Amino acid sequence: MSVTSGASVTERDLRLDFFRGAALFSIFIDHLPNNILAEFTLQSVMFSDAAEVFILISGYTAGMVYGRAIERQGFLVAAVRVYHRVWQLYVAHVFLFMMFMAMMAYTAGALNNSLYAEEFGAANFLNEPGLAVVKALILQFQPAFMDILPLYIVLLAVLPLVLTGFRYCPWLMFLVSFALWLAVQFDHRVALSAYPGPDRVWYFNPFAWQALFLLGAWLGWRGIRGGVSWRNQRWLFWLAAGVALAAFLIRFNWTLRSFYNPIPVLVSGEPLWPFASKANLGPLRFANVLALALLVARLIHPKARFLASHAAWPFAVCGRNSLHIFCLGILLSVLGHLVLNEFFGGIPMQFAVSAAGVAIMVGVAALMEWFGAAQAASGGTALGAPTASRGARG
Amino acid sequence: MTPVFLRYAIALIAAAGIGLLSAAVEAFGQEGECSVPERFYASEPQLNNTIKAFAGGEVVIAVLGGASTLGRAAGGSDRAWPARLSSALAERLPSARVKVVNLAVAGQTAKEAVKRLDRDVVPLKPTLVIWETGTMEAVRGTDVDEFREAMKAGIDELRAAGAEVVLMNVQFSRETDAMIHFGPYLSAMRELAEANDVPVFRRRGIMRHWAESGALDLRAKEGEKRRQVATKLYDCIGRAMGDFVTRGVPAAKPAASRSDR
Repeated sequence: MSVTSGASVTERDLRLDFFRGAALFSIFIDHLPNNILAEFTLQSVMFSDAAEVFILISGYTAGMVYGRAIERQGFLVAAVRVYHRVWQLYVAHVFLFMMFMAMMAYTAGALNNSLYAEEFGAANFLNEPGLAVVKALILQFQPAFMDILPLYIVLLAVLPLVLTGFRYCPWLMFLVSFALWLAVQFDHRVALSAYPGPDRVWYFNPFAWQALFLLGAWLGWRGIRGGVSWRNQRWLFWLAAGVALAAFLIRFNWTLRSFYNPIPVLVSGEPLWPFASKANLGPLRFANVLALALLVARLIHPKARFLASHAAWPFAVCGRNSLHIFCLGILLSVLGHLVLNEFFGGIPMQFAVSAAGVAIMVGVAALMEWFGAAQAASGGTALGAPTASRGARG
Repeated sequence: MTPVFLRYAIALIAAAGIGLLSAAVEAFGQEGECSVPERFYASEPQLNNTIKAFAGGEVVIAVLGGASTLGRAAGGSDRAWPARLSSALAERLPSARVKVVNLAVAGQTAKEAVKRLDRDVVPLKPTLVIWETGTMEAVRGTDVDEFREAMKAGIDELRAAGAEVVLMNVQFSRETDAMIHFGPYLSAMRELAEANDVPVFRRRGIMRHWAESGALDLRAKEGEKRRQVATKLYDCIGRAMGDFVTRGVPAAKPAASRSDR
């Protein structure tokens, strides 16, 4: 297994790595076009999906790691560490954008000479490449797949402020955060504008999603101070179980219906949609992911045997290297798109592309850990950071 | 670490290899005709009033849509799919008097289409309205809830005016798939249609099937070849739509022979 220093082994919560890894695989699989395997991820049985899991765990990890950094190294050093991480995310975003632009440049010519020219003409951003590049640099241009990193960047950028707030007036933080989230639910115009306009906005509304990240960060921050007392309330557990069960019954019924139409509808989707918006983190999604998190926290021990087993290893190894594997996953989704659209081949091909992608993700993560361990053993630093702290970063 | 990793890598690579092989095998032996497998129609509700109207009297079918319904890529509105639908229905139901009115406007959103309904559509007293929509919303990144509300308002208004409604989703195109978020708009349409018992003509899936089976070369680039492909595509869509809206018509024997089984 991976090589980590003694201190971080005792502190490590294996659940975080495992579920973050699972979310990373799921994001990749859900992003492939017409992928039958996407019917077997969280989104087919719950209102929330991998995006919520990813942001909640990222918030939790960030709160834990940087909260600890504030205590040990002081606010200034911790803040610099956060912004170093923000910078890494930004560079990753720009890198992905370059890949995207290359693909666009390649396909745009083909599109203009196709029978879709008239219909998709408005999508041809290469008419003004200069502006598109600038808009990408200021995070306003978020083509398909490039929407979650900008969200993560802005959320992490306000983290030092949030952690300071937790220290002095946590209730004010929650009040502001909740008010913002609520404002978005009532008025969709509370959003960040995006390119190309005029009415396009950030796909993941940061004013809504901050509530989940902030809650995660608070739980992580409290976690290093002995956790929260109300977590073990009996009624809360049953409430969470009830919410998760209800979500499962309603959502899974819809999924089954999409496969076999004669199955009757348990609960019609129509009145629920306004509360299940992904872009604005609707209350159903929010409640659903919190219920799941609570169930996991209560039912699975941080050091559960399964989490350290061989079967869990591919998930954990990717979860430990989440930034790199996330970017790789996005890149692989785009490549997978090209492959699936170019060669078709139905379900076997979808399996092939999904398996190949996951294999590459696991392979690269394993390579990074191996290299990190080798560097650490020879006294150097691995890929910019020592293994033990690299794995734990947000 | 290495043996564990190797075991996983081998298993995954084997899975990928088996998938690729069977995909290659599957690619053989596919025909070049643009038929539509039954699975694209099977779960969609039937159009009872329209079917009744086909049996006697006049049937007006109004078509709302964008550039791909307007048919300029094929060179003219007589080659657009609504015109081809009209011929297909005339062939299939010689006794019925069917009039297909193409009201498509390039680049029109669902919201804009709804605004036109009382002026341009309702006065025609259509028996059936086929509404092709969702492309502009996906291209522009419109709020999904807004798209859903516009479709719902349109369906309600048309039904109140006594028309049945068929929704048609976006075109399939390899080029745009990785650039435009179609997913949320496609599911919004599917969910709304299901909740309101509106049949959806799944153009995207059907076109993908044609491209996959080699029936249509959607990648044609040069002017003349491109026009030919567009002409064939719209003809195929028009005929498939003819099959789709006449499902359940008692005398429609040819429907069975057109399915690919």
